[in-house]
Amino acid sequence: MDIDMLLYRGALLAYLLSTLTYIFSLLIRRVSPARAATWILTGAFGLHTLFFLGEWLGKGYNPFLRIHDILSFFAWVMAGVYLAFQLRTKTRVLGAFVSPVAFVLMIISSIGIGGPLTVPEALKGSLVTIHAMLSVVGEALFAVASVAGLVYLIQDGLIKRKKSNKFMKLFPSLQDLDRINHFCLLWGVPLLTLGVLAGSIWARTVWGSHWQWDPKQIWTLTAWLVYAVLLHQRLAIGWKGHKTALLSVVAFVLLLAALLVEKSFFTTIHRFY
Amino acid sequence: MNLILIGMNHKTAPVEIRERLSIACNEGFNPLDEIKAIPGVGEALYLSTCNRVEILARTQEHTDAEERLKALIFRHGNLSEGDMARCLYVYRDSAAIRHLFRVAASLDSLIMGEPQILGQVKEAYRLAVDHQAAGIILNKLLHRAFRVAKRVRTETGIASHAVSVSYAAVELAKKIFGTLKEKKVLLIGAGEMSELAARHLIKHGGDQIFVANRTHERAIQMAADFQGVPVDFDHIGDSLREVDIVISSTGAPGYILTYDMIAAVLKRRKNRLLFLIDIAVPRDIDPRAGDIDNVYLYNMDNLQDIADDNMQIRKEEAEKGELIVAAEADRYIEWFNTLTVVPTIVSLKEKAAGIIRAELERSNGWLLNLREEDREAVEILANSIVNKILHDPMTCLKEESQEGSALAYVAAIRRLFRLEAPRDNE
Repeated sequence: MDIDMLLYRGALLAYLLSTLTYIFSLLIRRVSPARAATWILTGAFGLHTLFFLGEWLGKGYNPFLRIHDILSFFAWVMAGVYLAFQLRTKTRVLGAFVSPVAFVLMIISSIGIGGPLTVPEALKGSLVTIHAMLSVVGEALFAVASVAGLVYLIQDGLIKRKKSNKFMKLFPSLQDLDRINHFCLLWGVPLLTLGVLAGSIWARTVWGSHWQWDPKQIWTLTAWLVYAVLLHQRLAIGWKGHKTALLSVVAFVLLLAALLVEKSFFTTIHRFY
Repeated sequence: MNLILIGMNHKTAPVEIRERLSIACNEGFNPLDEIKAIPGVGEALYLSTCNRVEILARTQEHTDAEERLKALIFRHGNLSEGDMARCLYVYRDSAAIRHLFRVAASLDSLIMGEPQILGQVKEAYRLAVDHQAAGIILNKLLHRAFRVAKRVRTETGIASHAVSVSYAAVELAKKIFGTLKEKKVLLIGAGEMSELAARHLIKHGGDQIFVANRTHERAIQMAADFQGVPVDFDHIGDSLREVDIVISSTGAPGYILTYDMIAAVLKRRKNRLLFLIDIAVPRDIDPRAGDIDNVYLYNMDNLQDIADDNMQIRKEEAEKGELIVAAEADRYIEWFNTLTVVPTIVSLKEKAAGIIRAELERSNGWLLNLREEDREAVEILANSIVNKILHDPMTCLKEESQEGSALAYVAAIRRLFRLEAPRDNE
């Protein structure tokens, strides 16, 4: 096993450990294990980063092409975004919702990671890399926005119940969660926009037109539209707090369901491996 | 061990009696010199707060130090024999240690988990050190007590749940807004409770206070107290657009803030979160306002319920604290038991024998070149050098133990030769 795979396994293990530690923190309703979990997650992120650097710079292998790599990159972005927020706000226990997602993504990705790579003709070009990278970062930001929304809904419910509750103490403040939702939409929408544009330009080069009515294209555009509308409502109408949190979660669930339907019942030309 | 702790606290003595004793609460009086002058008292600590008066002392056996200590309390408090018997508690040795740990960890406080007591114990210890009343036993004991207090604080939730109404409000505000920095507070109506809550909010970072009152003069006066801004009572709706937290406590018979008013203002403030605290009876704010998204409405009963629940949580957490206290007391006693002469001499000899053995083994290479007799001679030489060096300290220990003052020497020897029990190396 080469050093990169060792890093990858290490990161996978660290994601698992941090997830378990976070769950333990929730179970005993104390923040101290979550503190340790944050460090473990930081370690996982560090190993994961080294893995990407090794693959990309060391081996010249493009980690943005195959679905397994994309999933692992998705997990990496989510962990990174969360850790960046953790630095600025005391949103520690939010990690308990990010870390498991990252871990599951890593598990799925680990099935096919590290295999031999032959790049199909349609994917040879730096625009493809930019398209994949920006789209994934954008969608990962939406995922974090929705996770923050979910925790917001829980915390909102707890505060409105007007009872003393240890979870209420444990979970981040509403304002911090709302800020995370805001920030993720604010950056996610333009990044995905650029990602989609890059993709459509590339599609014109290899498939002859910008748009193919491909299920995956439709799904992505829908996701973009939903979150763009949400961002618009936030910025222009002043939607805040409960409503945005609720819609972020609903959008995420619907899009996830649509993704599963798409994967199960439709074929797509946007699948290369 | 000969530790004795005599005292009274809020549970055993009524306030009139505690008052008479805790002159120190106000006047900085300290009877340490007097306590030290009692024959048979080796070390002493005098702790006096508004809720307790305690003397902890290490006494010598076969003395009437205990009676004299009681008499001292008796004299200072002007207590009758009967009062004294009713109010005083006396703990010895391990019970005294546990009691001190419980006090320092705030498990014995009137409001369990309150943080001041640790500072007061530290101050009492500082005075004992200043008066040269603290020696080897109390030094270690008090440092242990501080550590127990810290452990109980960090490892249990005893101090982390607000048990007063105004702190409960502050905690809620923090769960809504994260930080209270730059948060604006509107006070409607005057009242002790609302002012207290407002002061807590300011202390935790609250930015600006607006004050509205039916009598505008009163609003101006209160605003001056808080360095805030007086607001016209009839235009409360306008300031609702700006503020984040509202504390209302007027004597008005009907609602000051209606559902429609709040629903309307929320649109104008672009749905920014709004925390309403209604501590008026009858209520000032329409309870239905709490159903509006991004509006969090708490009334007096809600806050009181939370404070009560939190008190219950503290009591549950206190049980974990008791376990920590028990374990730490056991460890202290374990350490104390090493402070006797015989085991110290034994471990000293063992250590020396160990060193000789190790050094001989290290030199095995060239020792093997020697004749058998020579090798034996080297071993004898090594042993006798070590024994000569250790002879004087061991004789000294034995002599001191006959005079009953070996503790300090034992502690010093254990420290110098690193004979401390392995767990006590910190």
